[in-house]
Amino acid sequence: MPSATVNSRRPIELLSRLASDEPEVKVRALREVKNQIIGNRTKKLSFLKLGAVPAVAGILADSADDVMDSNCDNNNVNNILVQSATVLGSFACGFDAGVQAVLDAGAFLNLLRLLSNSNEKVVDAGARALRMIYQSKLAPKYDFLQRKNMEFLISLLNSENENVSGLGASIITHSCKTSLEQKALFDAGILRKLDSLLEGGSLSQRDASLESIAAIFKNNPEVISKFAGPEIGRPLSSVIDLVKDRYPRTRLLACMCLIVIRNTSPHFLQDLGIKTTLIHILLELLDDPGQVGYEAPFAFSSLIAQREDIQKLALEANAIDKLHHHLQKGPLHPRHYEGILLALADMCSKLESCRSKFLSLQVLNLVTDALTDNSADVRTAACICLKSVTRSIKVAALGAICNVVVDFTTRKSIFIQCGGIKQLVELAKSMESAVRSNALWALKNFVFLADNRLKEDVFSELTASMLSSLICDPEPCVQEQALALVRNLVDGYINSIEFVFAEDGLILGAIGRQLQSSSKAEIGIQGMYALCNVASGNEFHKEAVMHQLFPQTGDKNQSYMIKFLLSNDSQLRTATVWTIVNLTCPSSPGASGRLEKLRNAGIVSQLKNMVNDSCVDVKLRVRTVLGQSMGFGDN
Amino acid sequence: MPVRVAEISAPSQVSGTISRHTSPPACTLLSVGQAFSGTQNVSSIQKEEAWRVNVRIQGCDLEHGYLCGTMEALNVPMADTPVVTFWEGEIVDTKNYTFFTGKWDASPEDDKRHWTKFPSFLPLLSQVEIDGGKSLDLSNCPYIFMRWKEQYFVNVGTDCGLTIAGFYYVCFSCSDGSINGFYYDPNSSPFQKLELKSTNEGRSGFSFSSYELQ
Repeated sequence: MPSATVNSRRPIELLSRLASDEPEVKVRALREVKNQIIGNRTKKLSFLKLGAVPAVAGILADSADDVMDSNCDNNNVNNILVQSATVLGSFACGFDAGVQAVLDAGAFLNLLRLLSNSNEKVVDAGARALRMIYQSKLAPKYDFLQRKNMEFLISLLNSENENVSGLGASIITHSCKTSLEQKALFDAGILRKLDSLLEGGSLSQRDASLESIAAIFKNNPEVISKFAGPEIGRPLSSVIDLVKDRYPRTRLLACMCLIVIRNTSPHFLQDLGIKTTLIHILLELLDDPGQVGYEAPFAFSSLIAQREDIQKLALEANAIDKLHHHLQKGPLHPRHYEGILLALADMCSKLESCRSKFLSLQVLNLVTDALTDNSADVRTAACICLKSVTRSIKVAALGAICNVVVDFTTRKSIFIQCGGIKQLVELAKSMESAVRSNALWALKNFVFLADNRLKEDVFSELTASMLSSLICDPEPCVQEQALALVRNLVDGYINSIEFVFAEDGLILGAIGRQLQSSSKAEIGIQGMYALCNVASGNEFHKEAVMHQLFPQTGDKNQSYMIKFLLSNDSQLRTATVWTIVNLTCPSSPGASGRLEKLRNAGIVSQLKNMVNDSCVDVKLRVRTVLGQSMGFGDN
Repeated sequence: MPVRVAEISAPSQVSGTISRHTSPPACTLLSVGQAFSGTQNVSSIQKEEAWRVNVRIQGCDLEHGYLCGTMEALNVPMADTPVVTFWEGEIVDTKNYTFFTGKWDASPEDDKRHWTKFPSFLPLLSQVEIDGGKSLDLSNCPYIFMRWKEQYFVNVGTDCGLTIAGFYYVCFSCSDGSINGFYYDPNSSPFQKLELKSTNEGRSGFSFSSYELQ
C-alpha cells in the first residue's frame, strides 16, 4: 500500500493515482479529490485546469461498461461508480465551468445510465450528480415532446428514491419553457404526480415539485384553469398549505408558485386573505439568513409589481419599514442589497402614500449610499429605486417651490454651477436618439416656470440653431421633446417669447415646418402649444404665428390647422383651439383681421361643427372662440 | 395577461380596475403651472378685510384625484412679506373622493352647507343626499369640485400669527378658469370667500407649460 504522505495529496499526484489499474487506489484517489473540491471553488478550478474532469469521466465510462461484465467484482465497480459520479456532481455544483467540463467530457449519458443500475447507492449518486447539472443554465435541453423522453421522465418521477424523483422535477423546472411543452406535460398527467409529491413526499421532493409546478403554470392560463378548474380545491390548496410550512425554503417556493399562478390568471387567488398571507410570509422570510432571505425580496417584488391593490396592503403591513430596517442593518450581501432596493422601488412605483412613507423614514440616504457600492447590480438597483421614489408629484412640486423662497442658492443654480446644463446640452448632441430625447426632457422640466435668467442660461448654451435642428431631428421622440422645451421657454414672463425670434426666427420657422410635415399627434400637440404660447404675446407675436399657420397668403390652401381640428386626439384639438383663442383675443387690435383670415381658411365654420365636441375641454374653448368672434359682428 | 372572460368572478373592489368614465373632465386651465389671482375675504364682525391671493398649480395627478400647489397671500397685516403656503387638493371624482369630506372636523351637514353655496352644485344635490354622489356621472360637468387643504407655510414660521387649520371647499369653472371657494374652520369666521380668476400674467391670451415625470 502506498503510504500516505503530505505530497500524495497534491492534485497532480492524485490525478496520476486516478489512472492506476488498482481499483482500491482509484477509489481512494477519487475520495481524496472529492474531499478537496467539496465547497471549494478555487480547488475545483485548479483541478479543472489539470484535466481532472475528463479523467474522472473516463473512469466513469469504463466502469459503466464493466458493470455488464459478469467477471467483475461488483463491489469495487459500484464503489468506483459512486465515487466518480459524486466527484463529477461536485464539480458541477454551483460552478458553471464545472458543468461545462462535465458535459464536454461526455459524462452526461453515462450518468443517465447509472439511473437504471441495480445498486441503490449507484442510482443515488448518479441522480445527485445530474441534479447538480440541472441546476445550471448550461444543462442540456430536455425534449419533452418526444414520447420516450416523456416516459423516462415519468419513470423518474415515479421513483421511490427522492434524488431520482427530484431529478425529474429539476428537469422540468429547468427545461420547460414553451406553452407546447407545458401542455404536453399536463396531458401526460405530470401535474397530478407532482401534486402527490407535494402531499406525501419528502422535504426535498416537495420543494422540487413546487418549482416544477410553477414552471408548468408560468404564463399559461389554459393549463392553470384545466388543472385547477372544477377540482380547484385540492391541488391548489396543497400549495396554499405549504405557504405556512415549517421550512423557510418551502414557504418561499410555495409563495413563488402562488405568485406565478396569480400573475398568469389574476382571477384566481383574489381572496384578500391569500394576498395578506403572501405579503406577511414574504416579509418574514426577508429575515431568513442565507439564500432564502436573499431571494425573498425578489419574490416580494414579483407579487407587488404593477399592482396598486397589493402595494396598498403591503404598505399597511409595514413593508417599507421592514425593508428600511434591512437596509439599516448592513453591510449586506450584494444579492440581498439588490433585492431590497428593487422591492422598495416596486413599493414606491405607483402610490404617493408609499413614497411619502419612504421619505418620512429617511430611507433616501441609505439608498443614495448604495449608488457607490462595489456591485454594479446594487448600483443599478439604487438608481431604479431613486427613479421610482422621485416620480412623486408632491416631491416635484416641493422642489419647484424652493424657488419661491430661496433666491439664488436654489438647487437649480447649484446645478448650473456644477456644469449640469452644459452636460445636458452635450447629451442632447448624442448619437443615441434616446439619450438626446431624455436630455431634452430633463431640460424641459428644468426650464418649467423658471425665471428668465435661468432660461437665458439654458438658451445661450443650447443656441437657436441647435434647438431648431433638434426640432427637425430625424427621430420623432426627439422632435417632441425639443418642441416641449420651446413651449416651456416661451411660457411665463412675456419677454421670453423672444427666444423663438432669435437669429431671424430660426426656431419659429422650424416649428412651422415641423407642424406642416409631421403626422404624429404628439408632435402636433407640443408644436401647437408652442405657437399657442407665442400667440399669447403682443400684436407682432400673433402676426408671426399667423404667418407660420398660413404661409401662402391669398391662397385657399388648406392649412394643417383643419387637419388638427379634425384629429381623433382631443389634446391636439384642444391645443389648436387654444391657439385660435389667443389669435382672436379681443383685447388685441389686429384680432378682427386675423379672425377674417381664419374664416377665409374655413376654420370658423369647422369650429362651428365642434360646438358639441365629445371632449369637454375642446367644447368649452370652441365656445370661447365663437363667443369672442361675436364681438366682431360675425354673421 | 389573457383571462377567460367567462371565468371572471365578482368584480374586484379595487379602485381603478373597473373603468368608469364618470370622473370630471380634464381641463387645461387646471393643470400644472396654471396661475390664478384674486381675493380672499377675511372679514369678521369687527371689520371688513380682504387679502390679495395668488395661486399656482404645482402638481396634478387626475387618476388619483390629487393636485397640489401654492397659495400666496399679499397685504397680510401681520406679515411684512407675502405669506406663501403649500396646499394639497382632493378632486371630487366619485372614484377617489366624494362630496363627503369625512375628516378635518367637517360633518356631512357642514359639507352640504358649503357645497350648496355654489350655484353649479345645486343640480347635483339630490343625488349627493342619497349616496354622497358616488353614482354621479361628472364627465360632462363643466365644473370641478375640490377640497384644498393648506399643509404648511413655505416662507414664514408657524408663529406668524396666521392659521392654516381649516380647508377650502372649491368650485372650479372649466370654461373660464375661475375659482370660487369657502374656507371652513370651526374656529374661524364662517364662509370666508375665495374668488380667483385665471391670470394671463401680462399676456394677451393663455399660455401653457409642460412638466412630466417619466
